[in-house]
Amino acid sequence: MTLFIQQLFNGLALGGVYCLAAIGLTLVFGVLRIPNLAHGALYMLGAYVTYFFLATLGVPYLAAIGIAALVLFVVGVGLERLVFHPLRNSPHTHHMIAAVGAMFFFQSLAQVIWGADFRRMDTPITGSLHILGAEISAQRIVIIITAVVVLALLTWFIKRSIHGQTIEAIEQDRTGAALVGINPSMVSMLTLGLSALLATIAAGLVSPINLLSPTMGDALNLKVFAIIILGGLGSLPGAIIGGFALAIAETMTSTYISSAVGEAVAFIVLVAVLAIRPTGLFTKAVQR
Amino acid sequence: MISVSRNRSRRLLAAAVVGTFALSLAACGGGGDSGSGDSVVIGYTGPLSGGGAAYGENVKMGLEMAVDDLNADGVEIDGNPVTIELKSLDDKYAPSTAASNAQRLADQDEAPVVVSPNAGAIKAIQQINSGRSNFLVSAYTSDPAIVQADNPLTMMIPPNFESYAKPFTEQAMEHGGKKLALLGTQSEYGQQWTKAITDEWKASDGEVGADNSVDYATVSDFAGPVSKALAEKPDAMFVGGPSQPTALIMEEARKQGFERSFIVMDQAKLNEMATVTDIENLTKSVGVLPVDEYEDPGTEDFLTKFADKAGEDKVATSETALNYQGVAIIAKAMELAGSTDDPEKIRGSIGDALAEVDDKYKVTGFPTEITDQGHLLNQELEVAYLDEDEKYNKVPVEQVSDTK
Amino acid sequence: MSALKNPRNIGTLALLVIIAAAPLAFGDENYIMRVITTGLCAAIAVYGMNIILGFTGQLSLAQGGFFGIGAYTVGLLTTDYDWSFWSAFALAVIGTAVVGYLSGLIALRTRDEYFAIFTMAIGFIIYLTISRWEAVTHAHSGVNNVKFPEAGDLIDFSDPTAMFYLVFVILLVCVYITYAIRRSGVGRTLLTIRTSEDLADAIGVKVGLSKQLAFAASAVFGGIGGGLYASVVGFIGPDAASVDKTFEFLMFILVGGMGTVAGPLIGSMIVTFLFEFFQDFQAYRFIVLGPIIIALVIFAPRGIVGYLGGFVDRRNRRRRIAETRSTDEARGAAEPMETTTSEETK
Repeated sequence: MTLFIQQLFNGLALGGVYCLAAIGLTLVFGVLRIPNLAHGALYMLGAYVTYFFLATLGVPYLAAIGIAALVLFVVGVGLERLVFHPLRNSPHTHHMIAAVGAMFFFQSLAQVIWGADFRRMDTPITGSLHILGAEISAQRIVIIITAVVVLALLTWFIKRSIHGQTIEAIEQDRTGAALVGINPSMVSMLTLGLSALLATIAAGLVSPINLLSPTMGDALNLKVFAIIILGGLGSLPGAIIGGFALAIAETMTSTYISSAVGEAVAFIVLVAVLAIRPTGLFTKAVQR
Repeated sequence: MISVSRNRSRRLLAAAVVGTFALSLAACGGGGDSGSGDSVVIGYTGPLSGGGAAYGENVKMGLEMAVDDLNADGVEIDGNPVTIELKSLDDKYAPSTAASNAQRLADQDEAPVVVSPNAGAIKAIQQINSGRSNFLVSAYTSDPAIVQADNPLTMMIPPNFESYAKPFTEQAMEHGGKKLALLGTQSEYGQQWTKAITDEWKASDGEVGADNSVDYATVSDFAGPVSKALAEKPDAMFVGGPSQPTALIMEEARKQGFERSFIVMDQAKLNEMATVTDIENLTKSVGVLPVDEYEDPGTEDFLTKFADKAGEDKVATSETALNYQGVAIIAKAMELAGSTDDPEKIRGSIGDALAEVDDKYKVTGFPTEITDQGHLLNQELEVAYLDEDEKYNKVPVEQVSDTK
Repeated sequence: MSALKNPRNIGTLALLVIIAAAPLAFGDENYIMRVITTGLCAAIAVYGMNIILGFTGQLSLAQGGFFGIGAYTVGLLTTDYDWSFWSAFALAVIGTAVVGYLSGLIALRTRDEYFAIFTMAIGFIIYLTISRWEAVTHAHSGVNNVKFPEAGDLIDFSDPTAMFYLVFVILLVCVYITYAIRRSGVGRTLLTIRTSEDLADAIGVKVGLSKQLAFAASAVFGGIGGGLYASVVGFIGPDAASVDKTFEFLMFILVGGMGTVAGPLIGSMIVTFLFEFFQDFQAYRFIVLGPIIIALVIFAPRGIVGYLGGFVDRRNRRRRIAETRSTDEARGAAEPMETTTSEETK
């Protein structure tokens, strides 16, 4: 039972990270209709920029994440302007390859600046809590709480604020949104910036319990894609539920079946779900 | 509008297609004209980008240091002074790319020796290095399959990893207990290690838990796998992969209350691990002896030079040190063979070269002999047990045979 | 042979002749021969992608996985089970056909981006299976000493030149099949689906079955490429089945030109050599290559063949204005996805 509680919290923390990363990706898909394969690279870059502010400039931890998130927002906007905007009328194959090119570029860039060595990010958050006999580190509690807060803020932003509502409007009907005066181009920039910002928060949170390396985004990338497909492309609740569900499925199968199955479970679930519901669990009506 | 004649445009098209193709061929073919006269290229193909980049860079560092030192000392072959050049290519850890790279180094740069630090890559290179192309592969891997292949042009540098299983098991049983949990990495090498340590542990009447191996490179949070391994209530835990994630796993295990012994696979280096976590978390572990614990004639100078080159943050590991020695051995073998372009002769001279290499190049357990299959050996191999007082205790190792 | 008057076909033929002559120039250069031959193996798999992507407009990202299945079938059977190369190769073809058909049953229930990411997941599952199922695949230890094809005393396939020609001939067959499909009723069916799946369904085209067959065929091409690749390089590891391979293939096809006959071959050769050329920059090469890739898809979205084809089309259009409309019937079924210009004559 202790093991179960322990793994449940580990799963929740992992789920928070998956969720933050997946939401950005699903937003980008909803607005730009592209699977952004460079998302993992943005996550990696976010981790390094956080590291830079924290370790090199000595900014406090949470502030460092905040500043890095803003920096990455700008990077995301730049990515939209330089790469995806010129390709807005191309089929999705072109976006995919362009995104792979961007991914290669970001990875090399990180290696040139910070080197190939693993780096460790220290945080002021230490110690651990005892919950029902399990030993949960404070960092994981911080991850779970921050993820929930950020998700709440994001929902508020999209449902209530003017800028956020434009995102949803574009997702629902691009032409209609343009007719009422929403600039799709602005919204695209906002969305990619936002997705990079969320990925950075995820990266900043997870870095202290893992290591930084130029390829740290690769493993996350595939899983996050599994999550958004599972939840239904472009669906926010889908990404949230999918993120937590997959993270918990992963820790639990690793614990009670085997680590090999744990690694593959995201994809097995994905295949199974799509075999039954080809458009994912929470898809909205598809535009034709 | 374009109004070229039909014929002309057709020719234009053909020319363009031919041109682009020929251009890219030429771009590639025109690469190397070195290797002539009084310089010789030592080739290196390793992971310089992607997940294995840190490892590949460490190896490269050792090669560069050796080449610099050898050139400063002066290498003379057949009465002529020769400059050694290092040419490195990136293979991203992919065996087929490594083999292409090796072929390129041998063909275009006329490298008589190619260094590779990865068992898969070396196996792929062994398909091509003796036959139509001829070059010596300087193999930095402890997988004995490399020498079992009976490849006449292979030089295997590190000790056979199977030799470690016994002393590691003995130490961990003595300081920990009879029950072992497995939490190694999911790589080619990690899997072989897991198997070797499982066999040895069982042969010593120990109890082995489930295989909890995870891919250290893709796990986002080590807490889950560690919790699972600890749920078996083990007395000893087998860990190991790249140093830094291994250190994190051990730290996490200590945090979750594990107080017994660790067996640390040789890929992870205790001194390098101490750069990412408090050494207190690493105590009661058995692992390979860190480079700075050796007392070979050249160790001290090597460490000084390394600190100059790599900076204070990095510690020297055997990847750097053993490859440093390896290049010195090759250079001496070339001198004795009186040839820079005959790999067979160079290989044949390695045995004699070992006795003649300058003391300054003897850094970490310098080999005293080379087996017929091409394995460099030092009879006095030692491993280290890091005790509760954070002191390294040396434990002698009886080496196993390379044959199956 | 009116086909010979088409500049596209002439270009394709010229390309084939150049490649066929490669051993004359580089026969002694083991390295260049190796790069070309492995490039041709990849090209075969890329032709497979071309069928499903170029003709039906669905992006399959499982191709690296099928390539891996082909490679491992040949690799494992010729070593652990001591089969001859040819029987193992035959099983690789059948095996990928079956796996392709079965995964198509589920995959083709999805469309567009879902299909792309779903097939990526299939590819990844194949990769995970190969890299984790140690008892059968030897996982990361790989498969060593894969056999060369046997030919009695006739030909010695351990000679790189002989191996090159074998791969080349099989590639030719694949190119021809692609060409034949494009011109056949099946090709027309596939292109109808690409234009509008719903419409095709409405006019009685068997959409499901056609896509199913196209997907299986593309998988088979992947298996053929992989099987040959295993024999060419002699050692295979799980990286032969990785998702990275798929993106490599996708890059080849985009640079060469989607849906064209020569595109995959040109793309494979040029990108392969481009990558080799940039090797001198070691770890930093992707700082340059990344932007180059992006620039290529932005500025030459139809690939090299599409780009060159643009010249031809403009000329044809001018010529056509002067001609009667009698040739119009033969066209339509022949153009790649992005080239809205289907003025080509046959």
